[in-house]
Amino acid sequence: MRPFAFQEEAWQHIVHGRSGVVNAPTGCGKTFSVFLGALINFINAHPDDYKTRSKNGLQLLWITPLRALAKDIGRAMEEVITELGMQWKVGIRNGDTDIAERQKQKRQMPEALIITPESLHLLLAQKGYPQLFQSLRIIAVDEWHELLGSKRGVQVELAVSRIVNVQRQRSNRQPAVWGISATIGNLDQAREVLLAPLGTKGELVKANIRKDIVLESILPDEIEKYPWAGHLGLKLVHKVIPIIQNSRTTLIFINTRGMSETWYQSLLTAAPDLAGAIALHHGSIEQELRIWVEEALHAAKLKAVVCTASLDLGVDFRPVETVIQVGSPKGVARFLQRAGRSGHRPDEVSKIYFLPTHSLELVEAAALKNAIEENFIESREPMLLCFDVLIQYLSTLAISEGFIPEELFPELKSTYCYRDMTEEEWGQILQFITAGGTALQQYDEFRKIEIIDGVYRITSRRIAMRHRMHIGTIVSEAMMKVKFVSGGFIGVIEEWFISRLSPGEVFTLAGRNLELVAIKDMTALVRKSNAKKSIVPSWQGGRMPLSANLGKKLREKFNEAFEKKYRFANTTNQPERGFDIELQVLQPLFKLQEELSHVPRANELLIEQIETKDGFHLFVYPFEGRLVHEAMAAILAYRISRITPITFSFAMNDYGFELLSDQPIPVDDSNVYELFTADDLLSDIQRSVNSTEMAKRKFRDIAVIGGLIFQGYPGEQKKARHLQSSASLLFNVFSEYEPHNLLLRQSYQEVFDQQMEEVRLRQMLQRIQSSKIVITFPQQLTPFCFPIKVDSMRENLTSEKLEDRVRRMQAQLDR
Amino acid sequence: MRCARFPAPAFPPYICTMLVPTPYKLMQQQLWLSADRCIFWEEEKTLIVSDLHFGKTGHFRKYGIAVPQSVYKNDLQRLVHQLQYFQPKKLIVVGDLFHSSENKELQLFCKWRNDFPSLEIHLVKGNHDILHEDWYREAGICVWDEELSVPPFHFRHDLGEAAPISGRYLFSGHIHPGVRIKGMGKQSLCLPCFYFAQNFCVLPAFSEFTGTARIDPENGDAVFAIVEKKLVQLQ
Repeated sequence: MRPFAFQEEAWQHIVHGRSGVVNAPTGCGKTFSVFLGALINFINAHPDDYKTRSKNGLQLLWITPLRALAKDIGRAMEEVITELGMQWKVGIRNGDTDIAERQKQKRQMPEALIITPESLHLLLAQKGYPQLFQSLRIIAVDEWHELLGSKRGVQVELAVSRIVNVQRQRSNRQPAVWGISATIGNLDQAREVLLAPLGTKGELVKANIRKDIVLESILPDEIEKYPWAGHLGLKLVHKVIPIIQNSRTTLIFINTRGMSETWYQSLLTAAPDLAGAIALHHGSIEQELRIWVEEALHAAKLKAVVCTASLDLGVDFRPVETVIQVGSPKGVARFLQRAGRSGHRPDEVSKIYFLPTHSLELVEAAALKNAIEENFIESREPMLLCFDVLIQYLSTLAISEGFIPEELFPELKSTYCYRDMTEEEWGQILQFITAGGTALQQYDEFRKIEIIDGVYRITSRRIAMRHRMHIGTIVSEAMMKVKFVSGGFIGVIEEWFISRLSPGEVFTLAGRNLELVAIKDMTALVRKSNAKKSIVPSWQGGRMPLSANLGKKLREKFNEAFEKKYRFANTTNQPERGFDIELQVLQPLFKLQEELSHVPRANELLIEQIETKDGFHLFVYPFEGRLVHEAMAAILAYRISRITPITFSFAMNDYGFELLSDQPIPVDDSNVYELFTADDLLSDIQRSVNSTEMAKRKFRDIAVIGGLIFQGYPGEQKKARHLQSSASLLFNVFSEYEPHNLLLRQSYQEVFDQQMEEVRLRQMLQRIQSSKIVITFPQQLTPFCFPIKVDSMRENLTSEKLEDRVRRMQAQLDR
Repeated sequence: MRCARFPAPAFPPYICTMLVPTPYKLMQQQLWLSADRCIFWEEEKTLIVSDLHFGKTGHFRKYGIAVPQSVYKNDLQRLVHQLQYFQPKKLIVVGDLFHSSENKELQLFCKWRNDFPSLEIHLVKGNHDILHEDWYREAGICVWDEELSVPPFHFRHDLGEAAPISGRYLFSGHIHPGVRIKGMGKQSLCLPCFYFAQNFCVLPAFSEFTGTARIDPENGDAVFAIVEKKLVQLQ
C-alpha cells in the first residue's frame, strides 16, 4: 500500500526530531503516521542491528483516552513490528492491566507502551519513575481533540511537562511530542497547548483527505400536522424501520439516555420481528452487556443499535453502514463524528440520516450540510488553571520522588494550563496541601504532604495508597446497582433517581420495565413489570447546548428561507435549485411564522411579545444554545426589573428563551438596545444568576479530583464511614469558613466559563448591538415560540431574601 | 482577557448573634427553641442538644482532608454562648457528642470542659460515641447506654423502632433532620429543622459540619426550620 502524503510528511519531521500535530480523519492510517515514524527513527539510529536489538527500554509512549482502543492499536503495531523482523515489544497499561504484567513492565519496559492519562499519572506515582523515561524518544497523544478541553487533557499537559523535564535534567535531551487529532476549529491552539512544555512551535501536518458525507433528512409527510415539539420524533418511527431493514447494520444516535430507552421500546413495538436483532447501548447499562453489544456489532450480528454518546468514540465497527441521528446533534463536530461511524474506510461514503424531533429542527439539517461543506467545525477550548488537577498531581509527585517547589513552579508555568498561575496562588496551594488551610495550631493533626529537607513528600503509606486509588479526573455520579430480586444484574442507575421512587413504582432501564421492590445494601432490588406506564429516568448528562458554529449556520439558513420564500412566491411554484429540501418542506411553517410575526434574517434579532391567558410572554431568539439563553434570560429579567418591579418565570431551549410575567413587560424600541448591552455584564451576572447553586454542582467534581471527598476503598469501609461527607456540605463549610479557598473559587470560575459561557454571552451581546432588533406583537403563539413553551424548564427569578422566600413558599410545603 | 478570574461572592464573616429563642409548650413543660440548634428546658434548667460530632474536622484532617477547623471552633463557641445565655445546670446530649476515635481536637474539648466544672453533662450514647468509658469518666461525662428518662421526657439517640412509652415524650437525634421547601419550578431548599411529632421529636444536628436527611412531616406535626440563624415555623 502506498503511504499517504501526510504520512510521509510526518515521518520526515519525526526523523528530524521535530514535534507537532497530525490532523487526519479516522480510518486514514493516522496511527501509522506517528508509529512508523518512531520505527524509522529507531532504524536510522541502529542501521546495522535494528532487527536484533532488544530490551531497548521505552522508546514510544502512546497516550490514548480509550481503554478499548488499546488492544486494537497494540495488535496493529505488533503486526508491523513482526513484518519488519524487529524485536520491539508492545505493552498496554491501563486499569485493566493485571499486577503481574505491571511488575514485568517495571523490570523491563516494552519499547512501545500504550497508556491512558490516568495510568500515566500512576506511573509518575512510582518511585524511580525518572529512570523509566530516560530512553524515551517520542510521546504520542492519540485523539488529542478529545482530551483537549477536558481535565484529562490537563493531566496529559502535566505528564508531558514532567517527562520532558526529567530528560532535560538528566541527559540534556528531550523527547519529541506528537498529537493526533481530528479536525477541530482551533488546531493551531491544540498544537500550542500540547507542545507548550517543549518551548517549540512545532509542525502541523494535515491529511487533506475529504470524506464524503451524505446527509438525508427523514421528512414528516405533512409538516402542518407534525407536532411542533415534545414528541421525540417517535411519530416517524415507521420511516426508520425500512432504513434498518435495508442496511447491514444501523446505529441510531439519541441525545439522552432516557430518550434512547423510549426509542428502543417504540422500535420493538413498531417492528416486533426486530426483537433479538436490535440492542440498546448507553452509559447506565451494565458494562458486560455493553461489551456484548459491541462484540455483536463487530460480528455483524445486530441489525441496529440504539445508542447515546456512549458509542461516539472507540473502535470502528466495520459492519455499520448507516447512521441515524435523532434530534439535534448540537454541534458540527459531533455530527461529523457520528456520521463517520458508518462507511469507515477512506474510500467509502458515510451515510447519515437526520430525524427531527420537532419540525424546526429540520433547519438544522440544512445548516449542518452547509457547515460540513465549509468545514466550519467547533473549537475545543483548553481548560485553564485547574487547581483541583494540580493538587492531585502534586500529591502524585509527593508519593514517588517528592518535589521542590522552586524547581517545579517554572515547569508548571511552562504548561498552557498553568502559565498564568500567580506566585500567590502557588503559595496558597502549597499552604493548602501542607498545612490544610485554616487550623487551630496546637490542636491540629493535619497530615498530607510533609516538607523533609526542602522536599515535599507524602510519607504515610495509608495516604499514599488512598491517593493512588483516587488518581483521575472522571467523576461519576453516585450510582446504585439494579438487580432482580431473583438474582441477576441489570445495570446501574443514579442514586438520586432511585431515591425519589417508592417501592411499587415502575421505571425503565436497559429496555425493561422494572418495579422497585426494595433498596438494600446500595442495591435496588426490582422485579419485571408489565405496567403500561413507567418513569423514564431523565439523566442530567447529554444536555449539551447548541454550539456557536451551528447557531450561526442556523441563523443563515433562516435568512435563506426568508429570502427564497419571496422569490419562490413571486415566480413559479417550482422550487429553486440549491434550495434545501428541508427549507422547502418547512415553507408552510415559515409562512405562518411570517404572517403571525417575522422570520428573522441573519443580521436580525427577533423578539415576540404575546399575551395569553397565562400572562405576558416575551420570546427572544438568539440561537446561541441553552446555557447562554439561561444566563441571558436571568440577566434580561434583572435588567427589566430595574425599570419596574416585576417577577418572571423563565423557559429556554437552544433557539431562544421566554420570560413570562403576570404584568406587561416594558420592552420596546426605546430601551431594547440598552437591555441587550454588554456593558456591566459581569456585575449584572453576579446580581442575577444564582451562581452559588451552579457552583455547588461544579464543586462536586472539583472536590473529588482535589482529594477532599473520600470515596472509600475495599476492606476499609467501616473506618471510612467516619470520613464521609457530601460535596454540598463541604461547599457550605468552605463558603462560610474559608471563602478564599482556591478550589471553591475554581467552582465559580467553571460556572462562569462553562455553565454561562461568558465569552459567548458577551460575543452574542456585541453581535446584537450591531444587528437589527425586530419586535413583533403576534396575536397568538407562533411556530418559533411553540417548542420553547413545550420544553419549558422554568426557573424563577426573585430578588427577595431567602427568609422571605421561605415564608412565601411555606404554603407549598413539599410532602 | 484569557485568564479573567471570576470573583466568588464575598461571604460575610460569621458573627455570633444571639436571637431571642422561640417558646414551645410540650406536656406542660416550657421549652425554648434556639436557632443555634438546641432546646432549653426551663423547668429542669437543662440544655438539650444532639449530634455535636466534636472532633470530626480533626478526624478528616488527620486523614489528609483539609476541612477548615474553624467549623469546630465555632461549634464550641456557639455552645458556650448557649450555656451563658440559658445558664443551665444540666446538659443532655442525645448522642454523637464525639465523631470518632480520640484526637487532639478532643483535648480542646477537655480544656473547654474544665471551664464549666459545675455543669452536669449526660450523654445518651449514639453510634459515633466509641471512646473508652474511662475517657468519659475523666471528662466528667455521665454516659447512658441506651436511653435516659427525665419525666415526662425520655431521651434516646436513634428513634429507630423504639416503642412509645405511655405518658413520656421521646427526644431523639441521629438523622440530622432537614425539611425540603419547594417553590414554583425547580426551586428547592433543604434546611435543618426541629421536628415535633405526636409523641416524639427529632433534634437538628448541633454541628454545622453535618448534612441533613429529609423528613416527611404529617399533618399536625410541628416543624421549625432554621433559616439563616432564625427559626421559621412551617407547620
